Amino acid sequence: MEYLIHLGILFAIYSILGLSLNLVVGFTGLLSISHAAFYGIGAYTTAIILTKTGLGFFTSLILGIIIVLIISFLIGLVLSKFKGDYYALGSIGFNVIVLSVLLNWQDLTAGPLGIAGVSRPEILGIDFSNKFYFLILILIFLLIFYLISLFITKSPFGKILKAIREDDGAIQIFGYNILYFKLVIFIVSAVMAAIAGSFFASFVTFIEPSSFAVSESIFILVVSILGGLASLRGSILGALFLVLLPEILRLIGFPVDIAGQMRQVIYGIILILLMLYRPQGLIGEYKI
Amino acid sequence: MDIIPQIIINSLVAGAIYALISLGFNLIYGATKFFNLAHGIVVVIGGYSILCFVKFLGLNIYLGVVISVIISGILGYCLDRFVYLPLKRKKASNMVLLVASLGIFTALQGIISIIFSSQFQSLSENSEQVVFSFFNGFITETQIIILISLVLIGLGLILLLHKTQFGREVRAINDDEEVAKIIGIHTNKIIGRVFFIGSAIAGYAGILVGYDTGLEPTMGLSLLLKGVIASIIGGVGSIYGGILGAFLLGFVENFGILKISGGWKDAIAFGLLIIFLIFRPRGIINK
Amino acid sequence: MKVLEIKKLTKRFDGVFAVNDLSLEIEKGSVVGIIGPNGSGKTTLVNLLSGIVPIDKGKVTVNNSKNFTKIKPCQIYSHGITRTFQHVRLFEQMSVLDNILVVLTERNIFGSLFVKYGDHCHKYSKKILERVNLWDKKDKLVCNLSYGQRKLLEIARALATKSKIYFFDEPFAGIFPEMRKIVASIIKELKLEKKTIILIEHDMVLIRELCDYLFVLDEGKLLAHGKPDVVLKRKNVVKAYLGE
Repeated sequence: MEYLIHLGILFAIYSILGLSLNLVVGFTGLLSISHAAFYGIGAYTTAIILTKTGLGFFTSLILGIIIVLIISFLIGLVLSKFKGDYYALGSIGFNVIVLSVLLNWQDLTAGPLGIAGVSRPEILGIDFSNKFYFLILILIFLLIFYLISLFITKSPFGKILKAIREDDGAIQIFGYNILYFKLVIFIVSAVMAAIAGSFFASFVTFIEPSSFAVSESIFILVVSILGGLASLRGSILGALFLVLLPEILRLIGFPVDIAGQMRQVIYGIILILLMLYRPQGLIGEYKI
Repeated sequence: MDIIPQIIINSLVAGAIYALISLGFNLIYGATKFFNLAHGIVVVIGGYSILCFVKFLGLNIYLGVVISVIISGILGYCLDRFVYLPLKRKKASNMVLLVASLGIFTALQGIISIIFSSQFQSLSENSEQVVFSFFNGFITETQIIILISLVLIGLGLILLLHKTQFGREVRAINDDEEVAKIIGIHTNKIIGRVFFIGSAIAGYAGILVGYDTGLEPTMGLSLLLKGVIASIIGGVGSIYGGILGAFLLGFVENFGILKISGGWKDAIAFGLLIIFLIFRPRGIINK
Repeated sequence: MKVLEIKKLTKRFDGVFAVNDLSLEIEKGSVVGIIGPNGSGKTTLVNLLSGIVPIDKGKVTVNNSKNFTKIKPCQIYSHGITRTFQHVRLFEQMSVLDNILVVLTERNIFGSLFVKYGDHCHKYSKKILERVNLWDKKDKLVCNLSYGQRKLLEIARALATKSKIYFFDEPFAGIFPEMRKIVASIIKELKLEKKTIILIEHDMVLIRELCDYLFVLDEGKLLAHGKPDVVLKRKNVVKAYLGE
């Protein structure tokens, strides 16, 4: 049972991550391979605040939001000058730069040693060290983010995003400043990823930089594309599938030490197969 | 300031490695116009092939190098034949090809980690390395080979592209693939060979890196990205530009860490990339 | 009254003058044809005037507005200008209806998020789509439409903006006669509504039928201008089209 709760929390975290990336890649057509950076910034903000100050989890969430708001605004601004595959390269670049900061600003982040002892949240007397309560809390956040994403994508704003995806030059002719639209959705998406990171830090209680490298961004991309681009339910489905995958591997009998690498091999193959045979993913609306 | 000669040597060696990687990358980009990120893992596979054939199976090193280079070339050829070509037939966009290449990169990196373990391994035993003194700096035998290799391969490639029929056809495809098809060039065949040659060079670069600094399954991304940065700085698709960009990158990185600690090397490299993408996306050499 | 004035407009691409020291004036409410052989600069001219391509030299004035020369694409709408493209640029993986609704969205972020498409938007979209016989295909994805249907949809999208100045880049190219009739009647209706239309076309019959005034371009320069009947008879115009 404990184990199922553990899986449930991971599922919720990756659902939020998948949703956030889907908004940017699936709806707006911006191939961002950098979301692990925002995930990491959220995680580290929470870890540092919970271990080095007396402030609580929700304060760390708010601080994380403010920090990511500023950073994603700047990164989004620079990236907006790039098109298509150059956008992807530039985003990988930012992921690497943020990772460098996490590794090298050792006064703040303890570098490769990581930060341990991150505690679970506590509000209104409820101690979320109990994993079940933690699961409920994060599922509530998942629901909130799902509803926000639904609202955004079903509104006229959502249609503009899709138009940007289809032909960003043409939609401009009709009076839309696409820079603003792209920035807004990028920032919203980054904040969501950061909050997922905060929950991750609190959940695993020990974090270190390598969890937020480009390979993690690629993993989040697989979640989004597999479930289906431009389908919110698709991201949930993608997260479910990919969180269950390692468990299925273990059940089949793969030795634990190569399970991690085996996972990587499978993600890579899934990505290739998706591009070749089903670019719209399982239930997606958009073929990349 | 006596560390300057050493830094210059380091810059030249780094630049040469990046140049070799960007040579293959630019060759492929020129013909296909997409970013083949799987190029990075071909580099790694080249290095690990030597580990397998020379270190584990005990083959003669020269034979090992030849086999490894050929394996890398064949791998690149297969990637084109079985993944990229089918995608291009479906009129896939550059983004799709890039994502597919990411998938290939990820999968192959996983396979190498499984077969060879994730641990760092070196191809050379340190006692074997002959070291030369040059002004106040030291350069190893491997590093001299790296520099010479770049010159030879670079010249070879330039001769190939400008003095042979094959080279003419490649340049025709670079200019306009549709027109090349119309005038009767078998573009798919030529592009397949381009992949072979570019990937062979990549594999060879991996061998050199393995002897110079060592092997790790995760080194592919960093090397690839440096090669891409070099290519973009110099002007994507341009062989000369890539070499220029590679040395610029090598020097900026190594002189940059005079002032800042070494861990920031990657950040410096990417900072340079972002600056170029913003202000001079066509690179130093405008095509 | 002049609605559009161009003075010494110049644009070079890699050493070739696409538009070369071009000057012309367009009267409000007229249907102006821009013709010329391929490569004469017609589409580049429209791209310059819609901010898609930056101007090298010269001055553009629209409705006596001072700063039109350095216009950005997202600003032409507020000057009452809209356009279609030579190679149709629709939103392929969106439905026919969505292609119309999307340009009825509020132009600011808050509005686009919180102001829903009201009844009047839906009624208006219906009217426009019915005009081009596409209402019954409103839920179809654009990528599944025929070539002619896509051209009509692009014109419908331009109509939806209620602009005052319309640039149509070869709207009649490659579509069936029944569809041509629809496009021609739309242009005539716009004229009755006192809109200004700039039409790039090759079909001389349609040019004669629809245009009040013609500009003939050749190699980026103005070769001739005047009323269609007069201009189309001139030797140099005929020669430009047929070659030496």
